[in-house]
Amino acid sequence: MPELQPPHLRPRLDAMKSSRPGPTRTADPRPPDHFPARGNYPVYLLFGVCGGFLLLTSLLVLRGVWALVGGEAAWNAFVASLSHPLYIGYHALALLGVVWFSLRFFSIFPKTQPARIGPVKPPPAPVILAILNGGFAVANALLALILWGELL
Amino acid sequence: MKALLVRLEPVIWMLFGAGMMVGAFLLPAFILVVGLAGPLGWTGAEALSYQRMHGLATHPVGRLVLLAAIALPLWVGAHQLRHVWIDLGGLKTDGLVGSLLYGTALVGGLLGVVAVSRL
Repeated sequence: MPELQPPHLRPRLDAMKSSRPGPTRTADPRPPDHFPARGNYPVYLLFGVCGGFLLLTSLLVLRGVWALVGGEAAWNAFVASLSHPLYIGYHALALLGVVWFSLRFFSIFPKTQPARIGPVKPPPAPVILAILNGGFAVANALLALILWGELL
Repeated sequence: MKALLVRLEPVIWMLFGAGMMVGAFLLPAFILVVGLAGPLGWTGAEALSYQRMHGLATHPVGRLVLLAAIALPLWVGAHQLRHVWIDLGGLKTDGLVGSLLYGTALVGGLLGVVAVSRL
């Protein structure tokens, strides 16, 4: 038998729990046994942590736009700062993280679709996946080519 | 604060969902070119020049792309990190941590609007 954590050590996962008890009695939610070290839980948590890459990268885009607002010297200083090994390391990790995060999100997306919205049924999962993965490849390739100077 | 976060959950979810799509479709290319290829010298010197980047950023489509790339993925990061925090046992401090994370997303988004409008 797997060893269970004592109840007072188990984190509660009920972030959306009502502040007042409702008419139906329910047991306190508790994490699965051996959370978060085993099974799919490390990957689940890694997926959550990768959201941090989106937050940090968006803040970097914001910093870049402020540099553009500040003029040529500010922009050149911003671009020069990105050559720091810490930034290069962060961006290498962030690229891996955001690509993995995106592809995993796409793979989960069809499962989140309702059976039907009014009279309309969502397309089959392979079609949704093809649209999302194709859109991901095309949008990023286009933007990369534009930023690289190969297009426009 | 916790009650407010619960009440705002549908709005946060909408921003989170939009941010997932926008982040996936825009940020990898930005990271690849501006974060890696430019600093490592894989692109020409002209590619990330001020004149070229300013021209791209001030185009109406460029402004929209920048605004989306700043304002929406912030909510993904905030929402995901908040739930990792809760999952790892941080429910008691969820009100504070959630407010800080969503506050960062809100302020970052507003600063993004100001920055893009001043370009």
